[in-house]
Amino acid sequence: MTNENIVEVKDLTLRFGGVTSLNNVSLVQRRGEMLAVIGPNGAGKTSLFNCITGVYRPQEGSIEFHSAHRDAVNIVGRQPHRVNQLGIARTFQTSRMFNALTTFENIKIGVESRQKTGPIGAMLRLPRTRREEHESDERTLELLELVELTHRMNTPADSLPYGDRRRLEIARALGTNPELLLLDEPAAGTNPSEKLELAQLIRKINVEMGTSILLIEHDMRLVMSLAERIYVLNFGLVIASGTPSEIQQNPEVVAAYLGTTESEGAEQ
Amino acid sequence: MRLKERIAFLKFDTDDLRLGLTCFFAGVLLAVMTGPEGNLAQPVYAVQHSLFSSHVWGFLIFGILLGAASIYRRKIRMGVLGSGRATPRRSLRVWVSDLVFDPRLITKLTTGLIALIAALIIADFTGPFVPDKMSFGQITDQFTHTRTYGYIAIIFWLLYAYRVRKHPRPESTHAPSFMSAPWAKILGGAVGGLFFALCADPWLPVRFSWSYFALHGPSNNVFFHHWTTYLWTFAGALVGFQAAHTHYVAAKPSASRIRRVRPIKVSQNTRLALYGGALFVAVEAPKFISPYWQESIFQQIGIFCLLAIGLNVVVGFAGLLDLGYVAFYALGAYTNAYLTNALPIHPPIVVNAFFSIPFAILVCMVAGVLLGLPTLRLRGDYLAIVTLGFGEIIYVLASNLTNITDGAGGTAAVGSFSMNFWFAHFALNGLAITDDLNFYYLLLAFIVPILFLFNSLNHSKVGRSWAAIREDEVAAASLGINGLKYKVMAFAIGASTSGVAGVLSSTKLGSLFPSDFALQVSIFVLVLVIFGGMGSITGVIIGAAFIGWILQYLIFHSFIDYQDADKFMYLGAILVLTMIFRPQGMLPAKRRLREFQDSEAGLGSADAMGTAPEGPLT
Repeated sequence: MTNENIVEVKDLTLRFGGVTSLNNVSLVQRRGEMLAVIGPNGAGKTSLFNCITGVYRPQEGSIEFHSAHRDAVNIVGRQPHRVNQLGIARTFQTSRMFNALTTFENIKIGVESRQKTGPIGAMLRLPRTRREEHESDERTLELLELVELTHRMNTPADSLPYGDRRRLEIARALGTNPELLLLDEPAAGTNPSEKLELAQLIRKINVEMGTSILLIEHDMRLVMSLAERIYVLNFGLVIASGTPSEIQQNPEVVAAYLGTTESEGAEQ
Repeated sequence: MRLKERIAFLKFDTDDLRLGLTCFFAGVLLAVMTGPEGNLAQPVYAVQHSLFSSHVWGFLIFGILLGAASIYRRKIRMGVLGSGRATPRRSLRVWVSDLVFDPRLITKLTTGLIALIAALIIADFTGPFVPDKMSFGQITDQFTHTRTYGYIAIIFWLLYAYRVRKHPRPESTHAPSFMSAPWAKILGGAVGGLFFALCADPWLPVRFSWSYFALHGPSNNVFFHHWTTYLWTFAGALVGFQAAHTHYVAAKPSASRIRRVRPIKVSQNTRLALYGGALFVAVEAPKFISPYWQESIFQQIGIFCLLAIGLNVVVGFAGLLDLGYVAFYALGAYTNAYLTNALPIHPPIVVNAFFSIPFAILVCMVAGVLLGLPTLRLRGDYLAIVTLGFGEIIYVLASNLTNITDGAGGTAAVGSFSMNFWFAHFALNGLAITDDLNFYYLLLAFIVPILFLFNSLNHSKVGRSWAAIREDEVAAASLGINGLKYKVMAFAIGASTSGVAGVLSSTKLGSLFPSDFALQVSIFVLVLVIFGGMGSITGVIIGAAFIGWILQYLIFHSFIDYQDADKFMYLGAILVLTMIFRPQGMLPAKRRLREFQDSEAGLGSADAMGTAPEGPLT
């Protein structure tokens, strides 16, 4: 049942009216792999993420998700919370924290969404509720430790500095125990030293927890140092894929980024 | 300099204009709404007030004053007027601790007490009861409001004495005034003690009435011959002495003159003690008040509380605006009427009201889920409109399905609570005045457990999920939270609470009229929730109690020809004032307060009514 590939995107096409955001995109990620998607602004990277997490419904194509625990499922047409329950978690490009809740509560919400307690149990504080509450507290503390935010446990999310917020978002997504973690520009707006810590954190999640990671990032140094393979999107098309060194030497990629005359050929 | 300040005040900007006009039009609206056309429930000849009656003018002037006050306040906050520096918005806690540490507190309290006595005398004289027509023995519990004032006064005094003992006040930075002298404090304390003795002394054989006092004078008056009067006066003087003494001690020179004000933190133990005290008061206090108030506490305040607690789950916790809340109240009431055989259609088994409660909960829960599943996919305003429509549908059905509900004429003889089990034998009669207190305790027996249940619900996974959905539904979904499921859950829980309230209120009245379930009730309950503070159970109860009390008080002490139909005018005024001065409600929940602050800072849209941000997913 276990498949070597965790996610297989086949011929994905997403249109908004006349605008084609993704055009026949195919992508394969192996289990445990750190994969990066790069491309200029408006290339369709976030649209791809939104398709994989069920926020957008693409017009054509399929996204097969091979969980280690169940049969392969097609994500297209499933609601975001279902997709998350399958084992795919994500972060957002602009941080979307629950601002009025504390750091601890933010992470705990993710952990708890996997638990079985219902309203009756919560009202009466039944033994199972209390046990689950205890378990989620423990797990939340572990995650806080992982992202080094234990000292900020009781701070409301809106008063955290930007770098902390990005790490909190990763921890919140990890709380749902994903097999695949989608990081949408995790290093955006952070300073160089924070970037370094973040890279270490991402590698740690990938190596120690065995989570497959799909990464969107603009910082080339970060991408080249982290990713095992890279897909390059431009105007909704996959223009190249391969290892970091291959990508760096690909003339089409260089053209897309630097905008020489050759890039017009890539445009439809 | 002063001239400059004055000129600055006169410079109105567009915001001032908008603020002033809003307030003025709020006043106009309130006045017009209560004009002759506004009240369709009564025939025109029965409408006793017109556009030119005193209260309409009163509200116009209220609007103007409100506008002026708001502009003034805004100018002060902007620093244009007054000390020249912008004063930031203070939280209630800081405000309270500022008040308690105020060097001129004694002066203010004494002034306040004098004002209170004056208000009391006015209230006593303008009330519907004329004491000199009664014999002396009859002046008993009808003057309960005098006693209430007395309790309020003594609580202030005790609180003050406590604060003074714990935190000696620094030397006054103000120039010594007439009232801040030590002897004035002792005198003030004595006056306070005497005031308490006259109004609230539990050992006095009869209650004191100011109007009686004014008519008959102090001669041959039992109050001044009773030893407790002097005891209380002495105790009050002691409090005053204590205040003066600590003032003297603290007046010794110290390095820092201005004390940093710390916000008061309530510990877990204090909180438990407060809850216990509140429960004690809730159980004991109604025994000492007149049957009229016992009834209105049950019928108005208690039912309002229950309704507001239920709506708080929907509006406060889950952030959904439900304007058809009364529909579930009606469903609960009609379920009870059906099961106790008061409707033209007959149930298979006639039960007593205790057994109709689970059925009412079930019916309302199912109705809540059925209404919720299709409509809760909508957001904000759309949801409000659909629920509004649902409320109207139930109302229209109740009025027109004559074969089933007896139509607009209403139905009578709704069965009541009775029990015949082991050692408990009783049958409550809603119309009997002696059973008012028993109904109250029955209601309390429902409210108190519900409080605990909803409180733990709010602090559980479910409550956190609601908060997450309220703040950012997209992010919540990305964490595997099914938004629709939790919204429907909130809807069903709120609906079933409302259903229980419907059973209780129909039992008490013994009759049902569709007009009891009009849109106004939904709006009214929403006002209770908003006024008290959305999301805060304590706040909502305090809101319901306060507004319920105000309405009863107005009936009792009709200063300006108050009629029942006027109540929405006053509610409107309360709502307008709340929105201007304290939009988060009297006692907002911590999370809610933070959301309000975030939205003021432009961070996210924490609009209370569930318009979750649906921005681009970049």
